Formats: sequence, C-alpha cells, structure tokens
Amino acid sequence: MLRSCVCLRSESTKRRSSSVEDASSCRSSEIERVGASMQTTTLGPNGQPQPVAAQTTTRASSLLQLFQRKGWCKHFRKPLRGMSASRAEKTIRAAIFIQKWYRQHQARREMQKRCNWQIFQNLEYASEQDQAELYKFFNDLIKNMPQAAATGNKYHQNSRISILEEDGELVEEAGDIVSTRIELPITKNDIDRLIDVFRKKKGNRLHPKYVAMILREGARCLKQMPNIVMVSTAVSQQVTVCGDLHGKLDDLLVVLYKNGLPSTSNPYVFNGDFVDRGKKGLEVLLLLLSLYLAFPNSVFLNRGNHEDSVMNARYGFSREVESKYPRNYKQLLLLIDEVYRWLPLGSVLNSRVLIVHGGFSDSTSLDLIKSIDRGKYVSILRPPVTDGEPLDKTEWQQIFDIMWSDPQSMQGCKPNTLRGAGVWFGPDVTETFLKRHRLNYVIRSHECKPNGHEFMHDNKVITIFSASNYYAMGSNKGAYMRLNNQLMPHFVQYISAASQTKRLSFRQRMGIVESSALKELAVRMRDHRDELELEFQKCDPDGSGHITISKWCCVMESVTKLGLPWRLLRDKLAPGTDSQSVNYVTTLDLLDTDVIMEAEADGTTVMDALYANKSSLVTIFNIIDADNSGEITLDEFETAIDLLVAHMPGVYSKEEMLEKCRMMDLNGDGKVDLNEFLEAFRLSDLHRKQQQEEDMRRRSTHRTIQNPSDSVTKLANAISKNTAVVEQDIDPTDCEADAVDPK
Amino acid sequence: MDLDSVNNDLEKRISDAFCVFDHHGDKFIDVREVGTVLRLLGCVPTEQEVNEVISATEQLGETSGEVHLTKFLPHVSQLLMERKMEPATPEKIIKAFKILDPENKGYLTKEHFGKLMMEEGEPFTQEEMDEMWPVAIDPITGHIPYEFYLNQLMVYL
Repeated sequence: MLRSCVCLRSESTKRRSSSVEDASSCRSSEIERVGASMQTTTLGPNGQPQPVAAQTTTRASSLLQLFQRKGWCKHFRKPLRGMSASRAEKTIRAAIFIQKWYRQHQARREMQKRCNWQIFQNLEYASEQDQAELYKFFNDLIKNMPQAAATGNKYHQNSRISILEEDGELVEEAGDIVSTRIELPITKNDIDRLIDVFRKKKGNRLHPKYVAMILREGARCLKQMPNIVMVSTAVSQQVTVCGDLHGKLDDLLVVLYKNGLPSTSNPYVFNGDFVDRGKKGLEVLLLLLSLYLAFPNSVFLNRGNHEDSVMNARYGFSREVESKYPRNYKQLLLLIDEVYRWLPLGSVLNSRVLIVHGGFSDSTSLDLIKSIDRGKYVSILRPPVTDGEPLDKTEWQQIFDIMWSDPQSMQGCKPNTLRGAGVWFGPDVTETFLKRHRLNYVIRSHECKPNGHEFMHDNKVITIFSASNYYAMGSNKGAYMRLNNQLMPHFVQYISAASQTKRLSFRQRMGIVESSALKELAVRMRDHRDELELEFQKCDPDGSGHITISKWCCVMESVTKLGLPWRLLRDKLAPGTDSQSVNYVTTLDLLDTDVIMEAEADGTTVMDALYANKSSLVTIFNIIDADNSGEITLDEFETAIDLLVAHMPGVYSKEEMLEKCRMMDLNGDGKVDLNEFLEAFRLSDLHRKQQQEEDMRRRSTHRTIQNPSDSVTKLANAISKNTAVVEQDIDPTDCEADAVDPK
Repeated sequence: MDLDSVNNDLEKRISDAFCVFDHHGDKFIDVREVGTVLRLLGCVPTEQEVNEVISATEQLGETSGEVHLTKFLPHVSQLLMERKMEPATPEKIIKAFKILDPENKGYLTKEHFGKLMMEEGEPFTQEEMDEMWPVAIDPITGHIPYEFYLNQLMVYL
C-alpha cells in the first residue's frame, strides 16, 4: 500500500499540514515563542538570552514519518465523477496548485500578523524600559548617597496630607461643561447619568468640582481598604474579573452592558491599568471610582503599573487631563495621585485565587505585602515618601514584582529586562508560590493578548486583558471572565465599535493594523533619525544611496535596539526598493513625511515626560540635598549627573549639564539651590527645543531639494488613510461578543 | 561550515528566516516549521516537496523532529538557486481556478470547491478550510468569485 496522506486520511481524524500550526488565529503562545526568538536572534553578544522557549513535542515527527512518501501519489480516493482520467488528473493538479499557493499565502499572512504584533509589543515594552530606567536611577542615587535615603521627600509628604482635607482652589473651565450635578452619596441613578455624559463625543466634561469630588471621595474610601482585599462569592455565587482598560471607555461600557452593573449579586474586580494610551482614561477612572462609591461591597479596584504619575507623564494620561481641564489639571493630577497611592495592591478570592496586576517573583511574600504602608508609594517609579525612616528596598522590590512581572514558559525567575522592572517567572515559581500561599491559581493582566485572555503554567496563571483594539482597530479582542462559586472561569471575548471593522474588507482590516504598526515604528525611529543617517552613510562611501540588505538590517538594529525582524520589514520601511539592495534614502524620507512628523508631535518622548514631571526633578534635588539645607554642592550635582547619564545615555550630555550648573551658580560660591537647579534643566530644555527647531529647518530645506520618491509618498498616504480616526459617541451595543467554550 | 561567516546574501536570507523559528538559539528548528520557513523565503512548495526537504535535512536519532541549520542551509540554498518551488504568477493561478470551472461561470460553488479542497490533491484540514471561507466567499451570492478573491489576497501581500 502506498503510504500517502490520502490513504491515511481514513486512519487519522485530523491531517496535519505543514503550514503554520494553528494558522487560524494569532495564538499568543505561538507569538510569544516567535517573539522571543525574534528577540534572541537580534540581541547582541552581550544581550541576555531571552526566555520563552517552544514547547516542542515529538508527536509531530512520528506523524510526519507517516506522511512522508517517496514518489507521486496517484491514488484517487473518490474518482471525480463523469471525468476522463486525464481530465481528473488535470483537476487534481489544479487543486494542488491552488492548495500550495494558498498555504504559502497563509504562511506569509501569519508572519505578517506576528510581525505587526511584535512591532507593537516591542515598542510598548521598550518605552516602559525607559520609565523603569528612571526607577533604577533613583535606586542608584540613593545607593550612592546613603544619607539621602533617610531624608526622602518630606516636602511632598506635607503637601499631600492637606489635599485630601481641603476643598482646593478650583477655577472655571472654558468651553462646554455639562450642567450635570453629582452629589454624594453616589447612586445608581448618578451612574446612569455619568455614563450618558462620558460616552458622548462632545459635551462630555463634568464640572471640575465634581471631578475633584469623585476623586477625593474615592481616595478617602480606598484608604480604608487593606493592601490585599479579601473577596468572597458566598453571597453572590459568582464574580466577574476585568483586566487592563487603558482608557477604553467603550470596552468598559460593553462589559457593563453585556454583564450588567455591579450589585450584591454581581460583584466585579478591576485589575489595574485603567488609564494611559486610550483617549478616555479620565472617564474610565471616574466611572470606576463612581461604581466603587455607589456599590462599595461589589466593586474591587486593584492598582496597576500605569496607576502612576511617572507612567502617566509618558503614556498620555497626564496630557489627557491637561487637555480636558487646562485650568485645573495640576490640582486634579494631585488628587489622582491620592487615588493611586490608596488603591489596594491586589485581591484574593475565596482565599483561593490571587488577583494582581503583573504577577509575582520567587521572593514575593503576601504577608510582607499585607504589612506595607502602601500610602508611601505615590509613584512606584519614584522613591517612597518616607518620614525620616530609612528606605526599605526589599519592600519597594515586592511592590515592583507584583505590578510589573510577566510569566514565561521556561523554568526559573529572572529580572525582566524587556520591561526593565519586575521579573519573568516560570512554572516552577508559580508552583512554589501557590503552594506556599495555599492558592489554587492566579489571575493577572498587564499583557495584551489577541483573544483578551490566555492560560499559562498548566492553567495556573490566567491573563485577562479587557481593552479591545488596543494597538489598532482590529488588533485584538478584549475579554472579561466570570467565575462561579467553584471559581471555574468562563470567558466572554468582544470587540467594541464592531461596526467600524465589520464593514471593511479583509484587506482593509489588515491594512489598518499594519499601517498603525508602521506609523508607531516610524515615529520611534525618528528619535534616532540623525544617527540612522550617519550609520547608513558610513556603509555607503560612494554615496550611491544604496546598501546591501544585510547592512541595512544591521544598522536598523544597532541604532534602534528594538529586536525586530528587520528583514521582514524591509520592503515596508524602504518602499520601492528592489530585492537585491536597499535604497536607504527612502527609509529616511519616510520618517520625514507629514504623517509621521505629525504623529511624533502628538506623542510624548522620554525627555518630554521627564521635564513635564517636575516632581521628579524636585525629588532628585531633595535626595541630593541630604542635609536639607536647600542647596547642593557642584560635586554632589556632578555625582547625580553621572548617574543620570549612565541610565539614560543620549538623553543628557554631562558637559552641557555641568556647564549649566556652573552658569547657574551666580554667586560663585560653589552651591546651587532648588530654583537654580530647575533652571538648569529648563535651560537645557530650551536649548533642546532650539536644537530640534534647527534640525527641522535643516530637514525641510533638504526635503524641497530632493522630493520623496513616489513609493514613499504612496506609503505615507496609505498610512495616513488607514490610521485616520473617526470619533463617535460610544454605543456599547455596537460590539461583537461571544462566550468562549469552557476548557 | 562556519556558521559565523555566513556572508553570501542568499545564505543570509535563508539563515535569517530559519532563525526566526530557532527558539532556543541553538540553530535547531522544529520540523513542523520547515514549511513555514520555505514559504517565508518566497517558495511555494507542495506538501510533498516540504516533506522531501524534511527527510533530506531532519536530524536522526535523538534529535529527530528537529532540523539543524548546517543541513538546512546547503540543501535549501541549492533548491533556491535551481529556482525550485517558485511562486506562480497570478495568471497561472487563475488558470488553475478556471480548470475547476469548466463552464466558465466565473465562480465556484462552496460545495464543489470545498469538497475538492478537502478531498483531492493535498487536502486542506478543516481548520485551513474554515480560515479560507470568510474571505473567499462572497457574502451575497454564497459563491467564490475566484478572480476577485485572488485580487484581494494578492494586492494585500
């Protein structure tokens, strides 16, 4: 008997094809594997080998041996009716032709999907890394100036206590403010009215005094909660858990619409990351706090790593508050900080299931976490507000680990170099942790998943992510989970604003995700534009404008360090280029197109964030100023600069900073006070802005001399068209939701 | 063969595509990924051709089920240089579809096409079939207008 796949079909229920396993969905564990390997292949010799390994089985190889055949199989299982033998053979050949073409297409499409996903993820984590650098800088600063550890920022402590008590000085805002009035205690009626206001595209701003009221009252009540909140399903018989929302009010409304408002019989746990990235972070935060105030025993809020002013300065929430309440944002941001510092750090369901935002490490101790005075940690990325007490770094580490960690498939526990904070924890760490704390499993969030949820570590770690269309429209589904009294999980996945994707063709949908990925990547590349140009030119001594593909990939990685599969991205990032070499000028031209420059102006860079986050600068000053004299010596300042430069190379120039400092020491006594210190940074900022303007001017004149090629213009137009956002009133019924079959 | 001095661009291309699936960094990939790597390189192999590459390059003994770059590289370099498994032009693909549509209706019925794809040649799995339908089927007629379908896919990639 000829060994052929056709003959064996009767024996095997499912024929395995050689195309990508599970090509039907962007299965995230697949992506994680591919993603990790993409990291591995491009990390330099001194880069740490990165975790997630494929879980290979030998099942496939034995099946494969069955399918291997020598020679062409001419056995027809069912003779094609009414056809001559030659006709039938022609048909079969045509069928094979189509099949092999389709499989190739599928494989490439799958790779494309993974590529886009990889771009989004790496960009997100690389940015987070920058923020984590700030934390490490502070850590180093404290380490190198031990007397500073004892002082902390008393300055902050005092101003914080007052904000909860006083009514604050709020002023009227310009523009349309709704007339809606909210009074305490908040009722279900208020919730309905709030939803009706918040979901509108326009006319959706509450009077700032009500915003302040909700924030203040929210913080005051949250302060009463323990660090780890005990949740029980004794009365409700069930509970719903939601993950990251990231300012996606439409997703929150979809969940409330499909799953009902909270009540004694319908409790909710929201697992952090309510703000940043999405455009309605303030509304999400206010609605969640209002739900909590209206149904205090049915709503549980956990802190996420984005409930942090340092993150907000970088990821858009601070900007959002400023743009919505330009006259009151400072006051409101201070109140938001209060909410953050009093948010509980996690929950435990029925004493069996832990719910935390990130995960845990091999040193995580819930007892220790329960004993922490969490109010000290206004921002997790800045040193805690101590009261003359020495800083407890173990404690700080504990909080970091539960907020920032990610699960990995490999065994062991190692620092999470991708995020720059927290750890990667393996299945063995999970097992030990669960045993030690007598838990069944852990629910966490923190990572975007294509289907809004994922099981890992033998179903002991469940990721739940509730922001659909997170990276781009159509990029992923969101999900929420319902647990019954036995804590068996059921998932509902959904996409909000479904009508926007439904009416699009397949091609258009893929185009949107891809364009979004390219746009974000190009914006990020702009940070390194000059360096890229320099490196490209180095490889092209003749000035031909062309370099080999390998060289192009090399330069891209060495400059951006993003760990992306550059070879696969080549024809997108160097459009119009042929298959032998790369016209790198097109890459640079792409970065200079309007659509990319506008997108850059829209976002915030690390520098912007640092400057915007003046409190960080004040903290730095206070730490250096160990004796609280209000002045620091040039030597002390120099130490701080050294550390800052070490952590953020390319962001600060040491000579520049020192020069500014010396210039600021107006009375020449070798000391700098706080104002002079801030001036030094502000001057640097001015200087930087001047430099940026100079760069832009230089580039725009250069551009008019050499017009961008047609292919660059075409690509830029496509990106512009595909990423145009049409804002509408939110309609929670406009969703596509389906329950996932329980495992 | 010195893996560190892979200079030739073709070999670099193959090596890059291969390494995308090298999860441990040890230059081994799972045999199941061989097809994908070939397709990534622009080849359009039949299942049989993929299996042939696997049998020519698969490790024996303990590490069976895996393929090492040292075997993969020369074998596939050769194949690519001989222009084996080359992609077809859109015209050829349309021609193949037309053979399945002898009455020249310009479309195929779901039933006919589905049966063909899942029973003849190198049959699709149910998964692959399910993946194909949403894009291939015209929601109004319920048929597969193959030329239009082809256009959608071709232009995108």
